[in-house]
Amino acid sequence: MFHRSALARSLGLAEQLCTRPSITRIQASSSPLRNAAASFHQKSHAAQQATQTTTSSSISISSSAPPTPSTTPSTTTTASATQTTQQTKVPPPPQFTTPLKASESLLATLPHLAAQRPHFLTAHIHDRPYLITEGDSVRLPFLMAGVQPGDVLRLNRASVVGSREFSLKGAPFVDERLFECRVRVMGVDAEPLRVKEKTKRRNRHVQRVTSKHRYTLLRVMEVRVKGVEELKEEGVEVVKE
Amino acid sequence: MPVQGVKAVTTARNGVGAFILQCKRLDFHYCDWAGSSRGMVAFLKHKLPAIAKENPQIEIRVSPRPHRHPVIKGQYINGREKAICVRNLEPEQIVNKVSLLKEASGEKLKRIKKPVSSINESVRGIWSPFHGEYKGI
Repeated sequence: MFHRSALARSLGLAEQLCTRPSITRIQASSSPLRNAAASFHQKSHAAQQATQTTTSSSISISSSAPPTPSTTPSTTTTASATQTTQQTKVPPPPQFTTPLKASESLLATLPHLAAQRPHFLTAHIHDRPYLITEGDSVRLPFLMAGVQPGDVLRLNRASVVGSREFSLKGAPFVDERLFECRVRVMGVDAEPLRVKEKTKRRNRHVQRVTSKHRYTLLRVMEVRVKGVEELKEEGVEVVKE
Repeated sequence: MPVQGVKAVTTARNGVGAFILQCKRLDFHYCDWAGSSRGMVAFLKHKLPAIAKENPQIEIRVSPRPHRHPVIKGQYINGREKAICVRNLEPEQIVNKVSLLKEASGEKLKRIKKPVSSINESVRGIWSPFHGEYKGI
């Protein structure tokens, strides 16, 4: 009864994200899925080096659907162009030119935030804020292109990440390597038909204009703040103040 | 911290862990004789097998309904039904209607103004004038 492809996709994503920071580690593993992912990583990496741009797309999509066209991702489009088959179409992992920099005070206080669950997060999609916690359902005020029900999206723009007593504010955004926020595409919803009556003066004729917009439904799967150990594993650079 | 009641048993939230498509069944009704079913019959012959193969999680039923317009009905997990009349439509238009039924949540269409709906407790709690330090005026 489960959405099989979606399950497989999400599992593949989890594996891929687990091994995101280092490419060499993925190559060392022997699983065929990981090997496929590794080859794709190399490809995307090559494309990345060729284009030499930074990744700053607002949403990274992990699905069989093509990535959403946003303002900058020339890198994502080139990477998806190299990948044509439907089964192995995993989005390219985010590539960063510089390692994550964190001040000593941030690393000293981050454990307080990371340990205190549950977390909330103000995610920004198309520059609109959505205050979400785990398990919330979100009806976006637009129809997202290029996604199917069951797809998993990773939101990487957050202005505030917090818990009951602590919050981490970004200026304007928190670095996406400090937290994980994933949402699931649940489907598409429509609003009831709107009828707007348009009239002209001194005229009996009434024009009725109808519209019926469609909206994408999301479900928040995960809101998590990374701990200091995890950040150190991923290679955080400590900056002195 | 305020006094907390006994926690309720967890409620099922589709998509947080596993994901189940809300549309569980699609019924296709057609008429062999009537002209309004011409597009529907072509759709059933040429397009439906591929759609059925792509969506193994949806049960598909095809049944004749003589002397009536062709109809597609979607059954949803929440027990609701959505029916679309596809008289005189071309097969490509019917494909769009099928994808509409497939992706729909099955809920009644509502005008929603707040994008986020949550059943979680407030993360930061509710402000109380009797707790916390005295700030002065």
